[in-house]
Amino acid sequence: MRRTFTSSRSLVATFMMGIAVFGIATLGCGDSKSPAKSGTANSGTTGGGSTATAPPAKFTLAWSEYPSWSIFGVADEVGLIDGKAGAMGSIEKKYNIDIELLLASYDQCITLYGNSQADAVCITNIDILGAAGSRNSVAIMPTSTSAGADACITAGIKSIDELAGKPTRGLEKSVSQYCFERCLEKLGKNPADFPFSQMDPEQAAQAFQGKDEKIPSIMVWNPFVMQSVRSRNDAHVLFSSESIPEEIIDMVVVGKDSLGKKGGSDFAKAVVETFYAMNQRMNDEKTRDATLVGIGARFAKLELEDMKTVVTQTRFYSDPKDAVRLFTEEKFQKETMLLVSKFCVKYGLTQAPVELSFGTGKGVMDFDTTFLKEYLEQPKK
Amino acid sequence: MIRREIPMWLFLALAIGGVVVLLVSYELLSARQTRINPKQTTIPSFAKLSEGLQKIFQPQGTEENPKPPMFWNDMRATLWRLMVGLGIGVSASIAIGVLMGAYRWIEAPLSPIVMFLSKIPPTAMMPIYFAVAGTDQRMFTSMVALGIFFSMAQSIYQAVRDNVSDESINKAYTLGASEMEVIYEVIWKQILPNVIDCVRMQIGPAMIFLIAAEMVVSDAGLGYQIRMQSRVLNMNIVFVYLVILGIIGLIAEFGLVRLRRWLCPWFEEGAR
Repeated sequence: MRRTFTSSRSLVATFMMGIAVFGIATLGCGDSKSPAKSGTANSGTTGGGSTATAPPAKFTLAWSEYPSWSIFGVADEVGLIDGKAGAMGSIEKKYNIDIELLLASYDQCITLYGNSQADAVCITNIDILGAAGSRNSVAIMPTSTSAGADACITAGIKSIDELAGKPTRGLEKSVSQYCFERCLEKLGKNPADFPFSQMDPEQAAQAFQGKDEKIPSIMVWNPFVMQSVRSRNDAHVLFSSESIPEEIIDMVVVGKDSLGKKGGSDFAKAVVETFYAMNQRMNDEKTRDATLVGIGARFAKLELEDMKTVVTQTRFYSDPKDAVRLFTEEKFQKETMLLVSKFCVKYGLTQAPVELSFGTGKGVMDFDTTFLKEYLEQPKK
Repeated sequence: MIRREIPMWLFLALAIGGVVVLLVSYELLSARQTRINPKQTTIPSFAKLSEGLQKIFQPQGTEENPKPPMFWNDMRATLWRLMVGLGIGVSASIAIGVLMGAYRWIEAPLSPIVMFLSKIPPTAMMPIYFAVAGTDQRMFTSMVALGIFFSMAQSIYQAVRDNVSDESINKAYTLGASEMEVIYEVIWKQILPNVIDCVRMQIGPAMIFLIAAEMVVSDAGLGYQIRMQSRVLNMNIVFVYLVILGIIGLIAEFGLVRLRRWLCPWFEEGAR
């Protein structure tokens, strides 16, 4: 016993001393911070003609299960792209790039992207501002907007005034909290009177469905909205993202560094083309149901009928012109993104307002319609 | 040669050197990442980490609605949950473990159950706790308490059976001790160091499922903060919290070993 004691004590002591020695060393040579630039040497050497025989550049896209993002999973299934590294689908071959699909939970996707483990990510216009703080980003396309897919569901609370002072559970610093506050503002209430506290959306929905009396109100997203409303007769949608049209935008975002890599813009074009090729399948009578079933299999295992409801609550930008309209219109640029930016600063997602730009590429976060427009100009089959 | 002694100064120098190498290579790695992406927050430099350290002690909330600094708020929540859970779990497992070791007719019905349940990882049972015990203090307490209860009751029961000899019990009986006196004066006092060691071993697992649960259902606590801050990519705060978790573990380990030495000076590790 004595041995453990002395050894654990001496370990702590040596650890502390190690830190002390390190501290002295760093203080002593504190200004050696600017290391010689060595990273630039190899960036230009791989250039040359982009002939079809050149090995394809590899890009990773992190996606989580959500209606307009699960589309990429289905695109892998129908062979438009092949999500495995080293294998290529038809669109990948066309652009001579290799897309690797990374399926992860939404939070993990943000971390993967923010920490440069993925070139591109499926993310909302709210969370991306936080990530842009660690990585300059370019939104290449909106995929969908929430029109009822985020909702405040209550039991035993029939009006907004009754909700005041009662806790609503949901994910803090997220789309849920943004939607919660914005809806209350729109309804003329002061969000400060409505407590919002942290809980994982899935757990909140489960607790609500299990009739936990301490959880009378939840603010969650789909599929939890749909499941929670169905699970109890007394469940009631108090308000939803329908009240704030086109404020919550699901998008595909590429890191500015990745977009600048060789083949980066081809990757962006391929992603855009994949998304619209899948939308065509969804709008075509013949392939519509099969595509919806495919998306449903990658979104909480929902069946066809449920998926038909889901796509009304998550409205797809299935027309590229509509997508361009959103990114270029004044409301989005001057109002929506300012509101989002204010929210992010208020809750510490970002320290200061993120510098936004719309197609100029100057900002830390750029909303670029170049790839959408190029897709529109392509000769159609 | 295996286990050949090295001089004390060399041992110390190598130990300090190890820590220094770790810290220096961390800082170099951070500098390398920063060169690739100047805005990176993945591997924060020590300057960024100290920013994070300051930030967790800054008061939160707005002027009209001030909140305590996140560190105190989270520490209070996590430690309270841990302490209450450990307190209940340890007392219950001592009671059951000792009784099982002392009386065959308690041992017989309980030992198969305890042995089986101690093998189920408590984190796997999280959904059950959420469903049965709600999502507030009661849930965290019952989770920590039950999470450590079965394996601790199992070890205490074994300690009573293996470490308390029949001779010492018979001696106490011969000297006129009552049943309660045998349990307290002979059994309890002999297994006390094992109990302290058990608690020491269980703090790690208790922290694992407490943190895991906090990440999912809590609105305060170390686990909650680690999840939220990694979500907004403030890795400097996440790293500081991880270091804090390490320090909590060291303090608990150190304190319990000291406690055992103080309460049971007769106990030697090698004697078991």
